[in-house]
Amino acid sequence: MAHPLQLGFQDAMSPIMEELLHFHDHTLMIVFMISAMVLYIIMLMMTTKLTYTNTMNAQEVEMIWTILPAIVLITIALPSLRVLYLMDEINNPHLTIKAIGHQWYWTYEYTDYDNLEFDSYMIPTQDLPNGYFRLLEVDHRMMMPMESPIRMLISAEDVLHSWAVPSLGVKTDAVPGRLNQTTFIVTRPGVFYGQCSEICGANHSFMPIVVESLPLQHFENWSTMSS
Amino acid sequence: LGGGGEPGGLSSWISGGPPEATCWQEAGGGGLRGGIFSHNPTSVQLGCSRIRVSAGLASLCVLAPCPDPALRGRLLPPLPGWLQPALPRPAMLSLPALCMGTLARRGILGTASMRAAHGHSGHVATQEDMSVPRYYDKRSFPLPDVPFHAQLGTEQKALKEKEKGSWKQLSNEEKVALYRLKFNQTFAEINRPSNEWKTVLGGIFIFFSFTGLIVWWQRVYVFPPKPRSLTDEWKAQQVKRMLDMRMNPIQGFSAKWDYDKNEWKK
Repeated sequence: MAHPLQLGFQDAMSPIMEELLHFHDHTLMIVFMISAMVLYIIMLMMTTKLTYTNTMNAQEVEMIWTILPAIVLITIALPSLRVLYLMDEINNPHLTIKAIGHQWYWTYEYTDYDNLEFDSYMIPTQDLPNGYFRLLEVDHRMMMPMESPIRMLISAEDVLHSWAVPSLGVKTDAVPGRLNQTTFIVTRPGVFYGQCSEICGANHSFMPIVVESLPLQHFENWSTMSS
Repeated sequence: LGGGGEPGGLSSWISGGPPEATCWQEAGGGGLRGGIFSHNPTSVQLGCSRIRVSAGLASLCVLAPCPDPALRGRLLPPLPGWLQPALPRPAMLSLPALCMGTLARRGILGTASMRAAHGHSGHVATQEDMSVPRYYDKRSFPLPDVPFHAQLGTEQKALKEKEKGSWKQLSNEEKVALYRLKFNQTFAEINRPSNEWKTVLGGIFIFFSFTGLIVWWQRVYVFPPKPRSLTDEWKAQQVKRMLDMRMNPIQGFSAKWDYDKNEWKK
């Protein structure tokens, strides 16, 4: 989860998120450079002693400030498309988990082997043990094995929701009547928090997502115990 | 005006036929003809149904019920002589129109004929002729199309003649005088700074402070109590839990904690 006043991304817990972090660094650097240049030019224009304002022709500089932005845009677009296609790679998932959005909780279904299905409600603040994360903890976390490609099928039972976990680089809309698929691999064990990302009514802010990734053996133990 | 019994004289202002009731004929005198202006309002209206209003005055009409009951049944006083040729007389005799007479007189003073009568030849604001070159002081256009003083007096003409010779003969005052003939302001005067920024900044600060007062009031009187997870004790326990769970261990939160020495990294 994010610490208070955090501005940047959370650490990447999946390879796609790592790629996104690098792409963001690259693009943000370009954006900062452009902004600095524009601010500099504005400052120059406000403090000049020159007064002539009737320039009509500026062919050379027009060429430059058309070609250069085009090059910049290509420089941004190529890595962007690379990450986009990386996300769509076939990765032969080991497990399929379904996440169904309701008003205002999630249901997780593990139907590959047994029929494991449970609801995941937010723990209200008044029931929260000391030191726990307010508005982020749930009663039943979604468990998953680490270092395994996972396929998620996201849907909704009533209105639009969105299943999002920032540290995994995942955000997928939950559309009623539709199955949206996303895949990811979690590289580390740990607990990862997210929140519903599509307005869905009064308690939209109070239906968080908690993913806990475990080594495979522990996951199998949990799965056996739970079903 | 008025004068006994001349309904025909009024018809030039009235697009209808001659008025059926010459209600204002004896305006100055006390006696009113007949019972037209009796205190019975209906009879006035019925009596003047054939009179129509001249077009120019129609735009000034406010056809609302008469606001002042005291005006009912009262004559319009006669217009002073110098006003008469410029204005059509309000020729309505219906009740709202009679009361409207007082309102119409306010709008009357703004008409073009009034402005002409006062000697402005119809214009109240001065208008520049934009079709001929004119002088202007502009930072971005340093040489205007015409000199500032187009018509020169005799000494000024003499000075211009002197200017045609060598400029070394001109004294400093003459050079300045020549400049002032050609230009209204120097560049220093055109580009002079103003104190506007102080007003702007002051206004900004005033609004900021006012907003700050509002926000402060809100904090005291509107905001609900804070959640219990914002106490220092809870926050300390939360930090401990985040470190135990190794939140963001690579570059983020837990990466800044030294797990061996049990302290934040220096």
